[in-house]
Formats: sequence, C-alpha cells, structure tokens
Amino acid sequence: MTETTPPLPMAPLVDMQKITKSYRGVPAVREVDFDLRKGEIHALLGENGAGKSTLTKVMAGVVATSSGRMLYRGREVSYASPFEALRDGIAMVFQETSLVPSMTVAQNLYLGDEKFLNRLRGVYIAAQQFLQSLNFSVDPTALVATLGAAKRQMVEIARAVHHKAEVIIFDEPTASLTPEEKRHFFTLMRRLKARGVSIVFISHALEEALTHADRITILRDGERVASGEAKEFDRETVIRAMVGRTLSNELYRTRRSAGELRRAGAKVLSVQDISMSNVVRNNSFSIYEGQITGVFGLIGSGRTETFKIVSGIYKRDFRGGGEIELDGRPVRYNVPGPAVKDRIVYVTEDRKLEGFFETLSVAENLYSGLLAAGLERLPYVSLREMQQLAAQWHDTLNIRAINDNARVVELSGGNQQKVVIGKGLIQKPRIVIFDEPTRGVDVGAIAEIHHLINNLADEGLAVVVVSSYLPEILNLSDRILVCRQGRIVEELSPEDATEEKIMYAAVH
Amino acid sequence: MIFEPLLDFFRGKAITIPPMDGPLRPNTALDEAALVRRAVAPDNLCFDGGQILYSSGSEVLALTGDAPITIASYESPVATLAVSPSGVLAVALDDGRLMIGDRTLPAPGGLTSLTALAFGDADTLFLCQGSARHRSSDWVVDLMERNATGSVWRLDLRSGDALCLAKDLAFPYGLLVESGGSLVVAESWRHRLLRLPQAGGAATPILSKLPGYPARLAPAGDGGAWLTLFAPRNRLIEFVLEEESYRADMMREVPRDCWIAPSLSSGASFLEPLQCGGVKTMGIHKPWSPSRSYGLVVRLDAAMRPVTSFHSRTNGRRHGVTSVVEAGGRVLVSSKGGGAILDIAGALS
Repeated sequence: MTETTPPLPMAPLVDMQKITKSYRGVPAVREVDFDLRKGEIHALLGENGAGKSTLTKVMAGVVATSSGRMLYRGREVSYASPFEALRDGIAMVFQETSLVPSMTVAQNLYLGDEKFLNRLRGVYIAAQQFLQSLNFSVDPTALVATLGAAKRQMVEIARAVHHKAEVIIFDEPTASLTPEEKRHFFTLMRRLKARGVSIVFISHALEEALTHADRITILRDGERVASGEAKEFDRETVIRAMVGRTLSNELYRTRRSAGELRRAGAKVLSVQDISMSNVVRNNSFSIYEGQITGVFGLIGSGRTETFKIVSGIYKRDFRGGGEIELDGRPVRYNVPGPAVKDRIVYVTEDRKLEGFFETLSVAENLYSGLLAAGLERLPYVSLREMQQLAAQWHDTLNIRAINDNARVVELSGGNQQKVVIGKGLIQKPRIVIFDEPTRGVDVGAIAEIHHLINNLADEGLAVVVVSSYLPEILNLSDRILVCRQGRIVEELSPEDATEEKIMYAAVH
Repeated sequence: MIFEPLLDFFRGKAITIPPMDGPLRPNTALDEAALVRRAVAPDNLCFDGGQILYSSGSEVLALTGDAPITIASYESPVATLAVSPSGVLAVALDDGRLMIGDRTLPAPGGLTSLTALAFGDADTLFLCQGSARHRSSDWVVDLMERNATGSVWRLDLRSGDALCLAKDLAFPYGLLVESGGSLVVAESWRHRLLRLPQAGGAATPILSKLPGYPARLAPAGDGGAWLTLFAPRNRLIEFVLEEESYRADMMREVPRDCWIAPSLSSGASFLEPLQCGGVKTMGIHKPWSPSRSYGLVVRLDAAMRPVTSFHSRTNGRRHGVTSVVEAGGRVLVSSKGGGAILDIAGALS
C-alpha cells in the first residue's frame, strides 16, 4: 500500500488583494481578498449591496479599483475595459444582459470577433453548431429583441464560452432559466471546469452554490466575512454569514395550516377565456381581495403575458380575446395608463428594462409613479412633494442607497427592486401584481419584500405573486394557481400543495 | 369602452363563463358526503322545528327514523314548501295552487309557477313566481325561450292582500328573508342574487356572474346563507341561448330531454347532446369536462360572499342540487338529479 501525500494548494490564477472600490467616497467593497484557482468553481455569495457585483466588475475590467491590487497568473494587472480583460481571458456574463437587441443571436455571438469579410450564412451555421454543442435551443437567426429573458441569458453564456475565456464570471446565471435549462447550464459549467476553466459563480439560490461550488466566499456590507471549501458550509451557516442572523423560518416555511391562510374577500378581478395569439389560450381565473394569489408556471407558460394583458401592457386578441371584469365591469386596456387609473399595478419581472429610469434618482423614480397615476397634489412637478415622497418611501421600504440623490442604477438589485415596488405602491393600487418579486434579490431583501407583500394582503389589497421559485409560492400564497401552455390548469390550496404536486401540474 | 358594443358587432360578442375557482374551487365533497336517504327526486327541504321535511313528487315527507313518513299527499307535484315560525306548512303545487295548513288559497295575481316560499312572520308569506308563462316544472322551456317574466310577491295571510315587490325577473328560484327588512332573491337565468326591500323598492344585485343557475337559498347557522346551484353554465348552452332560430328549431323538433340545455342529471342516454359533454380517456370520465348537470352548494358569509363550496363534478352522481337546510347540527342537501338527501356537516368541519 502506498501512502499518498495531499496535493499542495495550487497558486491562484486570480489573486485580488485588499481591493477597495468606492463610489462618491462611499466604499462598495472594502479591502477584500479573493482568490480563484485554476479549474475551480468559486461561489461568491452575499446580500444585495454586499459588493459581489462590484468585486467581479473589478476583476472583469468594468470598473477600476480605488485601491488594492489584482494579480492574474502571477502578474499584476489593471484592466481599463472589459475588452482588455476578455483579451486576457477573463469574461463576465452579466446579471442584466448586455446584448445588442437589434442584432441576431449569431451576430451577437461573433460581435467583436468579425473577419474582414463575413458570410452571414456561414456565421449562422457556425452559431447553430456552437449553440447545439452547449445544448441551448436558441435560433441563431432570431433577433435578440424578440427573445425572452431566459434565452437572452443563454446567448450571454454562450458568448462567454465562445470567447474561450479562462476565467468566466457568472452573475446570477440561473435566475431566469427553467429547471431543465438549469440542468444543462450546470452540466456546461462542469464541462468548462473539466477543461480547466475557472468560474466565479454568483447566485442567490444557495442550494446551487452549495451543490456545485468547490469553494465559497461570502461578503457582507462590502467585506469578506467567510471563505472556505464548500463542504464546510450548509444553508444555515451561509445565511448566518450573509445576513448576520438566521432567516430559515421566514423564508423556507413551506407548509401552512388552514388557520394561517387568509380567506378570500370580494372578487375584484374576473378573467374569462382571455387569449393572445398562441401564448395565452382561453385563460380563466379570479382574483380576490385580502389574499395573496400565487401563480406558478415555467418560463413560456404564459403567466407573465396573462398578467401583462390584465394590466394593459399587452393587448388580448381582438376577436375571441375573452373578457376581463374589474368589480363586475368589463374592461379592455390597450395601454397601461387606464389600468393604473383603475388601480391595477404590475411590478415587472425585468426591472432594468421596464421597471425604472436608471439614470434618475430614487426620488424622481418614485415621483414618476405618482405622475403616472395622476395622483400628484399640484399641477406642476413639485420638488418638495418629490422629496417628501422619497423620504416617506425610503423608510417604508428600507431602501439603502448611498444618498438620497443616488441614481437607481447605482443601487443593488434588492434596492432597485424596492424602488420598483415603491413606484407601484405609490399609485394606491387595489390589485398589485408582483412578477418574480425576488429575482436577483438577496435573502435579506427577500425577507423584507415578503414581509411587505404579506402586509399588503393584510391591508385588504388583492395581491398576485407570479413566481417560478416554488418555496416562494408555497411560503406566500393563500391559494396557488398553476399555469401551463397559456392557461391556468390547476388551483391548489397551500395546505395540501407540495413542490412535487405543483411541478407535476406545471409540466404534465 | 363606449365603442366596445359597436366593436362586438364586427368581432363577435364574447361568450364567457366565470371560472369556478377561489371559494368555488371544485372538490368532491358532495360525492363523499354522508347519504341520509335515497329518495325519488327530493326537492325542497325545510325544518319545522322538530323534524326535517322534504318534497318528493306530489308528497311532503318527514325525514325521521328509518323510513320516511308521509305528511301530505297531493294530486299535483309539489313545487315548493315552507314552514311558518308557528309551524304551519305552506305548500305550492305545480298546478299553481297554494296551501297554507289545511286552507287552499287562491294564488295572488294569478300566479301559476311558484318556485320558492318564505315566511316573514306568521302572517306574511313571500313568494317567488318563476315564470308567468310556464309551470315551475317547465323551467327548461322558460330558459330556452329566454323569458324574464318572474316576480316576487308579499302576501298578507290575514287580509289576503298581495303586493308585487319585483317583476320582470328571469326565473327567481330562491328566497331568503333577512333580518334587516330585506329579501335576497336568486335570479336563475341571470345567474345572480338580488336584494329587495320587503316593503317594495328597487332591487340591488349583490352577487353576480355565478358560474351556474342559482336555485334555493337557506339561512346558515352563523348569519350567512346557503345557496344551491342546480346546473352549471357551459359554453355550448350559452351559445345556443344566443342563437334564436336554432333554438326555435331545437325546441320544435327535438325531445325535451335531448335539448342542449341545463339538466338536473345527465349521462343516462347516449342520445343526450354531447353525451354529457364528457371527455372519457381509458374509460375514465374526466371530472373537468363540460357537462349539462353538476352538483354545487355554496356557503355565503353575512355579506353574501362565497366562503366555501361543495361539489359533485361531471363524473359524480349527486347532481341537480336544489335545496339545503341547516338544523340540529346537520346540513342537509337535496340532490334532485341524484335522488339523494345528503349531510355535508362532516365536510364542513
């Protein structure tokens, strides 16, 4: 029998030492040490605003560091742009996609990599083969603007892989993928790892990090609070390190008794046989006051489109489009304005694209919600009213911004989401539709948003939560609707619903 | 929205039916409920202070012991019945006669189609006339003709004076006396509940767009009410109700049992339209498939909002529920189409 000696720890491929990055003098990360070894999957966890994205943006050359240094393959580097980092072998797949919407998938894949003369057909064929090798079912000739969030994310991932990067940073890669697509993604990640690619993996789904990562680093308030082998962590220790307290009972309580469920109030919304092309097909359901209706469906099930029809963002079919009744009164919204006036608010799943004006301040964004509903007190834009409003909603929603005039783009995902929610709630809604309210949001902010949603239902509002995250549906809902192929196919009570039952209804 | 009716002319009017969800979420509570008695088309249930009475054909029976006791027997089928606070039985027959105890009264205003009776006090009786054109047993004809000739009356039993409280109703089928001086009426063909002042006045809809045809109402123990719906709405029937000439031809040429119309029971004959609309796969009748008959009892709260419901779905047998009574800790339901009296108190707890 031969005795083997444990392998010596490898020299890190990327070694970030005492990295500090400040925005307007306020540090987003403070003296953080982070290292990445060759061929490892390193999960970076933390609440929104903990500094994960900032740290990885420094690594990928998106932002410059304020102090500290970064070594790549043992030499000190400082990238002025993502292009420089990519040329060196460091690619980043962004949380909010950075594709060119007016170009096709293939054109986006080969962007920056074009030859002097390009044969479009050849590009499409190569792109098709490449996407198939990754098991991504995306049409290379499709315009990116026509793709859903999940497919855009796939293209983004494919682009990073295509550039043969040695270090790939995935920022919330699975937030918009279906379970099937997630499985493909993790297979791909393991394949990349086997090829020697090093991966930094940011995710709010803790199970994913615990299952797939080799090492885990946890940030809190811009500082590193824990780092080690993944097997040293479990969900409880990760959450405690992330938020400084345990939240398991608040977030993952999945079975509720009948006594805990809110009873249905008056029926406020009755949707009957609405149809939109082949996306929403003869869909019927009712929404009641004073309770939370959870709507679960996989991507492509028509759940988002259904509620966008209800809130006037999409139009239902002109012929045979069905009926929507608000308090027994038939309504047909062709634009969102009248729906907002009727106090129906839709809180979007894609906050960056549809949720806020990113270059405006928090106050201006909140005030824009008031203007959209026509609820402003004065017939002109009042800065005082705006500031009062911002102060009130800052406290109500616990928005953590660098200062009152911070632009929304500078906020973390969780705080951005709170701004979007605040913008909707300012409109004094009767029906609030939350579409993926905690996508890309950390566990601390999830608990706060869940608390807020529960409060709204307790106040008597009709609340709809559309989500593809089953624990969220089970935890929040007073009744659960399951959407498949453009229609509600099942209604379950949380008393007897399980993840398996819901998923079965969503798939079969 | 003002152009919507005009646009309907071009795109066709939407024929939609509210979904059964929320408090009306389908279940199998009626099929699983305890069987109290098998009976031939048991219809109206009521409590006389000591025992439960029910009508079956031309008889009124008491639900006591092992075998039912016949309380009264008539030449014509019993349309509806009620018991006064002092225990006097009022019975309306299908031929239009009204019996109060052992007296036969002339029905006020020539009423011929009484569908529900309710006592306000010992001397005041409220009556629902389903149709001015057809007997109550011919309700399906009244529906297919799309009549709205029903009315609600208040009758003073001492003086014999009758006052019409509401008219031009589309088959009022259920009646509930409220303590605040009002009545709740189930208007069947318009799928809604109305509130009427007992002294007369304008009716106010309080629960609209029901997914079925409401039948009788009964007070519930804790201040709410029980509502029965004797048949479901389905899109084919709604469509036929829009088609005047087709309907006229159907009524003229097709036997009544085979009309595309709601029914108290279905599936007995292969000649039935859609053969009950049932979707059968591998020999299993799908409970969600469209049907002409269904069993549905709804519990309403004090504000007349649905709280919970009890169903016998398409593949069930306890269809055509027309009456409920809550007494002595029991909640009895008559499934006229299924030929059974059931107790749903167990499901309630």
